Amino acid sequence: MEYLNNMFFGIFLTVIVYLVGQYLFKKTNNFFLFQPLFVGMVLGIAVLVLIQQVTGATSDAVFSAYWNGGKENMIGANLLFWFLSPATIAFAVPLYKRNDIVKKYWVEILLSLIIGLFISLTIIYFVCIALGLPKNEIASLLPQSATTAIALPLSESIGGVPAITAMTVILNAVIVMALGDQIIKLFRLGSDPIGVGLGLGSSGHTMGSVKAVELGSIQGAMASIAVVIVGVATNLVVPIFANIVGLK
Amino acid sequence: MKNEKESPNVEAKKEPSNILVQIFIYSGILFLSNILSHFMPASFPVPVPVWGLIILYVLLTTNVIKLHQVEQTSKFLIGIMGFLFVPSGIQMYKSLDFLANDGVKLMIAIIISTIVLLIVIAFTARILIAIGKKIRKEDSNDGVSE
Repeated sequence: MEYLNNMFFGIFLTVIVYLVGQYLFKKTNNFFLFQPLFVGMVLGIAVLVLIQQVTGATSDAVFSAYWNGGKENMIGANLLFWFLSPATIAFAVPLYKRNDIVKKYWVEILLSLIIGLFISLTIIYFVCIALGLPKNEIASLLPQSATTAIALPLSESIGGVPAITAMTVILNAVIVMALGDQIIKLFRLGSDPIGVGLGLGSSGHTMGSVKAVELGSIQGAMASIAVVIVGVATNLVVPIFANIVGLK
Repeated sequence: MKNEKESPNVEAKKEPSNILVQIFIYSGILFLSNILSHFMPASFPVPVPVWGLIILYVLLTTNVIKLHQVEQTSKFLIGIMGFLFVPSGIQMYKSLDFLANDGVKLMIAIIISTIVLLIVIAFTARILIAIGKKIRKEDSNDGVSE
């Protein structure tokens, strides 16, 4: 196990599983279940489980080898994770390039996000009730429209479990990457670039914005603005909503 | 407007700036964002990348930073973002035990709620934009273009 405590193990594993994903995606003519991010995630987890089985190490030790080379404050896959920060900032560029749309529709954009968020929360709440989820899990799902740094403290403050919220926010991104195209086609959202962009940014966060940029410049700009506004709006709307339905 | 490839506020194409200049801009914004989010109250966190996005957008809109100084790096970073997100996905490894015990319902709830967010916000925007157009009495063919 010690030989895996090496700062390049995590980076190397991530590159390999992602490249396999890209290869499969291309070979199967963009079959949605072979979306590279999804394949990379599943394969990566499978490799870590395999290592755990073979070496008999604890799952914490295996994950730490992957994440930070087995030592605190060291580099591993967390180096790639760190680059998500400048990559998120980079979405200011597609947003600026469609400033014409922002200037023309900013009232509609703002209202759509806030009203849409409230309606979504209501539906999500009742879906959770219908599925029979316990209260703390419902509270963990409500802040999912925000990014991790906003969603985790929010989840805790309305009685949720931050670990579940963290998992939800990650899965949001993976689901939107894998199923986004299918959902857009199924519900015929494609004709409406502003709506699609705002929806992708709200549901899939920055990964939704990646998908949106692929679809077009308006979609990309709208998803970028959605990430910012929905993040802040979640902070304001979710505690009010939790109060109304009596979660706390 | 329909035939224009880019929006009107895109300047004439210039050579991308030196890569070090681009890195300087991104790291400067990250530094500033870190300081700003440090001063936000704990009850109202605004994450570093969100501050950074706002700052870069404002600097671009006010013409302090020019497009050619950040565009190349932006394209590169957005292009590899799916790859950069893989470690976050692999973090799910830590939740495997939890999912194995009581995960099915939760997974269903997460998948449904993701789809709900996408569709509801897209439809809300479609309705509100239609209403907005009526209020402004615009021709419905004007406006949004690819």
